[in-house]
Amino acid sequence: MDITEYIKLVFTDYTLRTITLGTAILGAVTGMLGSFAVLRKQSLLGDAISHAALPGIAIAFLITGAKDSNTLLIGALISGLIGTFWIRGIVSKTHLKSDTALGLILSLFFGFGMLLLTFIQKQPNANQAGLDKYLFGQAATLVESDVWTMAIVTGICLLVMLLFWKEFKILLFDADYTKTLGFNTKTIDVLITSFIVLAIVLGLQTVGVVLMSAMLLAPAAAARQWTNSLSVMVFLAALFGAFSGVFGTAISASQNNLSTGPVIVLVAGVFVLISFIFSPSRGLLFRQIRFVKNRRDLELHKTLAFMYNIAETHENVSHPHAIKILNNFQGYTKGTLQKLVEKDYVKLTGNMWSLTAKGFNAASNLYNQQNETDE
Amino acid sequence: MSKIAVKVDDLTVAYNYKPVLWDIDLEIPEGVLMAIVGPNGAGKSTLIKSILGILKPIAGSVSIYGKPYDKQRQKVAYVPQKGSVDWDFPTTALDVVMMGTYGSLGWIKRPGQKEKKAALEALEKVGMLSFKSRQISQLSGGQQQRIFLARALVQNAAIYFMDEPFQGVDASTEIAIINILKALRKAGKTVIVVHHDLQTVPEYFDWVTFLNVKKIATGPVKDIFNDDNLTKTYGINYKVSIQE
Amino acid sequence: MSSAQIEIQLIASIVAVACAIPGTFLVLRKMAMISDAISHSILPGIVIGFFITHNLNSPLLILFAAFTGIITVVLVEYIQKTNLVKEDTAIGLVFPALFSIGVILIAKNANDVHLDVDAVLLGELAFAPFDRLIINGADVGPKSLWIVGSILLITLTLLITFFKELKVSTFDKGLAASLGFSPAIIHYGLMSVSSVTTVGAFDAVGAILVVALMIAPAATAYLLTTDLKKMLVLAVGFGIFSAIMGYWVAHWLDASIAGSITTILGLVFLMVYLFAPSKGIIAVLYREKQQRIEVSLLTFLLHLKNHDELEERHVKHLNEHINWQKVRSKSVLDLAQKNNMIHIENQIVSLTEKGDAFTSKAIDYIITNRDAQIEDMKDDFFLFRG
Repeated sequence: MDITEYIKLVFTDYTLRTITLGTAILGAVTGMLGSFAVLRKQSLLGDAISHAALPGIAIAFLITGAKDSNTLLIGALISGLIGTFWIRGIVSKTHLKSDTALGLILSLFFGFGMLLLTFIQKQPNANQAGLDKYLFGQAATLVESDVWTMAIVTGICLLVMLLFWKEFKILLFDADYTKTLGFNTKTIDVLITSFIVLAIVLGLQTVGVVLMSAMLLAPAAAARQWTNSLSVMVFLAALFGAFSGVFGTAISASQNNLSTGPVIVLVAGVFVLISFIFSPSRGLLFRQIRFVKNRRDLELHKTLAFMYNIAETHENVSHPHAIKILNNFQGYTKGTLQKLVEKDYVKLTGNMWSLTAKGFNAASNLYNQQNETDE
Repeated sequence: MSKIAVKVDDLTVAYNYKPVLWDIDLEIPEGVLMAIVGPNGAGKSTLIKSILGILKPIAGSVSIYGKPYDKQRQKVAYVPQKGSVDWDFPTTALDVVMMGTYGSLGWIKRPGQKEKKAALEALEKVGMLSFKSRQISQLSGGQQQRIFLARALVQNAAIYFMDEPFQGVDASTEIAIINILKALRKAGKTVIVVHHDLQTVPEYFDWVTFLNVKKIATGPVKDIFNDDNLTKTYGINYKVSIQE
Repeated sequence: MSSAQIEIQLIASIVAVACAIPGTFLVLRKMAMISDAISHSILPGIVIGFFITHNLNSPLLILFAAFTGIITVVLVEYIQKTNLVKEDTAIGLVFPALFSIGVILIAKNANDVHLDVDAVLLGELAFAPFDRLIINGADVGPKSLWIVGSILLITLTLLITFFKELKVSTFDKGLAASLGFSPAIIHYGLMSVSSVTTVGAFDAVGAILVVALMIAPAATAYLLTTDLKKMLVLAVGFGIFSAIMGYWVAHWLDASIAGSITTILGLVFLMVYLFAPSKGIIAVLYREKQQRIEVSLLTFLLHLKNHDELEERHVKHLNEHINWQKVRSKSVLDLAQKNNMIHIENQIVSLTEKGDAFTSKAIDYIITNRDAQIEDMKDDFFLFRG
């Protein structure tokens, strides 16, 4: 199946269209809210919340006996919130550290959820099949109403975020200061946390509890590398998230036996990898290039300074000297000499070099600058 | 004597119910440039934070110009310790300074041209105008401190609280900051600074509070900045040569 | 009890002990989430290892998968060092990616790999007794028992041999380095043991229970003691108890053994979290309330000592000036009076001699050496708490 054909299919095929739309919206909303989680240093909270949501799903099913995804979602939401606040309770009231609290809630809630799920599976109720889709997610089970739920929740998130943008931003940056300005930081905090929990719960059906945290982190971590503005970061994260959803769905649809969740996560992972390496300002590649370039510049400057010191001893600064004496100087290579010639700082005549007037000026400027910064 | 800007009554603060400040009574007259000095763990930052309502005291009350702090927030600006925030946050110098206007804007309302103009003016005052679009992580420690100061200046308050503004800044920033503080005092503002360097107290400040869990002394530098109070505060025989 | 049941309980208990030991150190070193990362990211290691060895119980596969665990740790630390993202984001990025690769590998090779993704998360302890180890035609017991048994033996040997080094490096990295124990070697040693244990236990109890078995018993024990040896013993005890209890609950409910063990671990933690003698929530809340009264009382006494003015010492002042709620000021007043610290005359409160002496002593303690002397003071408080 080639690409154009696939795109046509996305618009005509009901299932594919629903899934693509669903994963795109999901990616956008998790990317958006994930930015806040990442900046609040609550990256792993998402992991804990998504695992903690599992027993809620099972209990909601046990109580209502219905598989309606909205009912299960509310169960997941409640249990996710309980997990979140219990983590806070553990951290604030005992000497256990936050990572221990996260790991505890994550594994204990999940284990309890699994106990309930296996218990449900043994029940003679035939309706239970498909609850385990919440483990790894099954985008294929998305129906139009699910997409509507996602769209509405995303719309609300967006609205609240735009309304309280200023408050969110200042709380993320400097909570104490926010308090002194008279804002109720608890309200803002609860608002952000609740929306993060909501976004996670929303994605459980599609991506599953195990991998949900990556949907939250990866787009945000990738977006952070490309910008130094919070609004651009949130926008990019939403974009990366949406693309991960669309591409992930496409890849998994084009192959057999590929569950959508892991593929989406891997696509998001590729976004992160590319961003880490190729981002112009922070990326590892350019950082390395800058590092090498700086070292070269430094060598060039050192050589020039060395020449300057020699040339200074003569009345005529352009007095030629033997190249040989440069050999004693560490950091001198033929390449650096060639570069200096290219810059018209140095003239070569046979075995001799001489500083040009331009070179002398450049060197003396360099010298003075250095002395200034030393002070 | 002039008006009392800040009045602290019987303030007691405890962290995890371990006492940090004990029964502090403090009156800060309007228009002074005051240093709070004391050894590490004396509760200097805690005092500022509890006056500002960031920490909840166990007992006591604070009033600003005779009214409770809650009603007088607009009159107070705060410069936190530089290390208290994440400087890798994706935002620019101008953006951070703009945050100083958020308090007067209140909920939901966004900053507009007026706020931007105020922020730019504040940036100019601290000599950072040319850095306005700079990502904050790319600023030096001194420049970051100036940004924080500019943010407080934007608030256009009557009373400024600063937590160790000279911590880890270069010499030129230190001079720039103290000049701004002195200009604030000249304009009739009250400035309260948590300070570490005892040597510079007589040079920079005209008022001082010695603090070590309890209030040891408070008053004009020329009257009370002496070996006796220093020894009481720091517990050892402390001698400091006061320059004329 | 059938022999299969005994074997299952034995395997579960051994896994619990083998997890509790490295888990204790992970909790103390604030690295609990690393165990979560390892437990997920060894999945591709297991799958690839299986392609090579074609045997899920091969020691080679265990080593190979454990190596993936180490790679995870190295990768996380590398990303942290680049400063591109905050510390814990690195963990959150690495393990879902590796886990996804594992899930996809399994899905794509479903016909070749007899691994079920559900089993990866949950393990299948119930089937463990059916996979026997046969040496020279003699049945010597279930294979998993031998695997987890050997892992436990190695862990115990390492623990006993390097106990001192582990202890020093956990509580004081600087000291450990200055004594010549390389923190890096101990760090990666611990990571290796955790990885091997995780892989070994993986087959029996699944990825998530491994995390639960590592963190929960240690965290529970940490609420009861701060002594390393006691903590290890308690963690091991909680692990074994939950393993056996969990088995019977699962048996009774006819549900997943792993899920049930985790649930018991959770209940044990909840009980200790609520009722631990000094660090449990109830004890903490009670103590906070007591201390609030004590601090209030002392504040009040100090206030009396500091102020001679009648106005400042008026009973009404307690309510208005010190800004306490009525209830508290009354209880403080009662407490002080009951202990003969104050006497009230015409609504004016004054310190008694005893109160005066006590206040001087208390403030002296607080100012000179707050941390060391506060314990002494507490004893004094108990004298008049009444």
